[in-house]
Amino acid sequence: MHAYSLDRPERLRAHLAAQRRLYEVRPDCQGGQHWQTVSSQDRHAFEPSSELPPFSAKSFFFGERELLFRFDGGQFYSALPQVVPQVLFGLHACDLQAVAYQDQFFAQDAHYQARRQATLLVGLDCLHSCNGGFCSVLGSGPAVQAQTADLILLPPAEAGADWGLLAASAAGQQALHGLDLASAHADWPAQRQANEARVRAEQGSQEDIIEGIARLNLQAIDDSTWEALGLRCLGCSGCTSVCPTCSCFAPLDRAEGQGGALRERVWDSCLYQGFQQEASGHNPSATAGQRVQRFWTHKFGEDFRQRFDSYGCVGCGRCDRVCPGSIGVHGVMHKVVQP
Amino acid sequence: MIDSTPRRLHLLEQYEDGEDSRHFSLRIEQPAASDLAAKAGQFFMLTLPGVGEAPFTYVSLPDAQGCFTALVRRAGRLTQALFDQPAGSVLGYRGPFGHGWPLFFNAQPLLVVAGGCGLAPLAGVIEQASRQAMPARLSVIYGARHSGAQVLGRERARWQQTLPFIETFDQAAPGQRQGTPLLHLDEVFAAGPPAALLCCGPEPLMRASAEACLQRGLRADRIWLSLERRMHCADGLCGHCYLGSSYVCQDGPTYRYDRYLQLLGRSSPISQAPPALFC
Ligand SMILES: Cc1cc2nc3c(=O)[nH]c(=O)nc-3n(C[C@H](O)[C@H](O)[C@H](O)COP(=O)(O)OP(=O)(O)OC[C@H]3O[C@@H](n4cnc5c(N)ncnc54)[C@H](O)[C@@H]3O)c2cc1C
Ligand code: SF4
Ligand code: FES
Repeated sequence: MHAYSLDRPERLRAHLAAQRRLYEVRPDCQGGQHWQTVSSQDRHAFEPSSELPPFSAKSFFFGERELLFRFDGGQFYSALPQVVPQVLFGLHACDLQAVAYQDQFFAQDAHYQARRQATLLVGLDCLHSCNGGFCSVLGSGPAVQAQTADLILLPPAEAGADWGLLAASAAGQQALHGLDLASAHADWPAQRQANEARVRAEQGSQEDIIEGIARLNLQAIDDSTWEALGLRCLGCSGCTSVCPTCSCFAPLDRAEGQGGALRERVWDSCLYQGFQQEASGHNPSATAGQRVQRFWTHKFGEDFRQRFDSYGCVGCGRCDRVCPGSIGVHGVMHKVVQP
Repeated sequence: MIDSTPRRLHLLEQYEDGEDSRHFSLRIEQPAASDLAAKAGQFFMLTLPGVGEAPFTYVSLPDAQGCFTALVRRAGRLTQALFDQPAGSVLGYRGPFGHGWPLFFNAQPLLVVAGGCGLAPLAGVIEQASRQAMPARLSVIYGARHSGAQVLGRERARWQQTLPFIETFDQAAPGQRQGTPLLHLDEVFAAGPPAALLCCGPEPLMRASAEACLQRGLRADRIWLSLERRMHCADGLCGHCYLGSSYVCQDGPTYRYDRYLQLLGRSSPISQAPPALFC
């Protein structure tokens, strides 16, 4: 992994935007933040927020609505997405870990892989914890893990100083071609460690999360606790939409004129009452408590951790922010530990 | 890579087979080697273009021409629309999916318990046993709400010639056996305790049958169930068919009972009385 010194991240951004369609998180005028395209001519300073954008990179690869095939009345035609080379600029470690998790889950999914393989990922180390994040206890951050990104931006400790840039993959190294960069100062690993220690201290020990995971896997949480949590679930799908590792979907079939038809798939949510409803009327997860339990078992269950070699939760804290019933990750884990 | 685009499937014919179900003859256009290797207990995904897609089990497995049969119960939008399709319609097919039944035909007696439409996934096993040299080694107890709710009429007529085949009814007519299959287990066990149970039907019936067999000395690792779960992708991705950490479309639909209990997160069998045994 080669380390470079970068006078201005905007120079790298313009270089990459000249090769590919580049997306960066930008503030809107209403206090929100969104992924937006940025051209190679763009003059805005790269000023990443220490707060995560409301939406992760999930929908870039796992489309919220995706055409699967068309039928013309006689034949079926598969529909793969039209992709253009793209780059996501400034992804935080947790969101990159989530992409790595989804890469495994969707390893055989042609639609996901078509989009993913056309994408260069530029990560960004965090100097401070976001509000409510706990990546440091799950091992998903705050330093970007080399195997999850192509390039890694290391912000300077003081304003005005040079940035660091790590080439973490062959594709990342190749994308730098033509950009004249000096090697980084030798102290960059120490700086990364200092950043990590600072974020870890800001996030604290997160006892509820650690104890909650243990209790969940010991099956030490009784049904009444889950049902009490379920009472607060409105089935709104907020958590499953913002969660960077949620991946459930449903098909949507539609007839088109002349005997034609198509199938799309759309994001679904395991917290919807009818998610497992069978045609016979039987519903194996009929209560909201069972569905809430399912969601958290999927994030923290040991069987899933073994399968993916990491938890399904990356500690981004988005569900805490979005849940109207206060049963995001900290809400649930607190109740589970102190019922 | 997974291709979720269906292949062409031709509807050859359909006939009434039970009061709310029909028996379909279907043909896969250009069957692949994997179609011809399908096993009893596996399933396929049937698409009715513009309407939807749903899982169904093979009653008879695809032959060299890709022809097979399936039993479909009217349950909702897709199945109703399927009943309305004329012969010659072009449908969509994906499959085969999941794991079939373990097939061990030896000198040991085997018990099949089926409820309602749950007879369909077991048809391949019964058919094979009825052709073995010692067919009487496999016994069937088949429960239905009443005789109109029974399925696979032609097949049953054939099997009854070669196998011990007990039929039970929730609402029995004179001369019929009253009660659920559980009431008739002792009779089968008295004739020779089975070495294994294969069971398919509504989940409460399967649990109750498994427990009744456990109580009669059969080990949990000799009991197999075929589970129904809502399924949409059959590729282990859409998430709908979960059973604990397992996806029924990939790991099932047949599960050994001890594994099933483990996935439910229970160390001991569930012993609550089933509310209703039949769909
Ligand atoms: C492995 C496997 C094998 C199977 N084999 C067979 C077989 O051989 N033969 C057979 O007849 N059936 C079989 N089934 C069941 C079959 O797949 C269903 O009966 C079929 O999907 C019904 O489709 P439908 O469109 O007609 O019903 P739908 O219209 O989809 O549903 C009917 C009812 O289901 C419920 N429902 C559906 N969607 C929702 C929702 N989003 N929210 C709430 N409730 C909902 C409602 O109560 C609705 O009225 C099998 C199932 C599995 C999993
Ligand atoms: S469960 Fe919550 S905290 Fe964990 S990754 Fe999903 S949204 Fe983020
Ligand atoms: S049917 Fe989609 S995961 Fe099993």
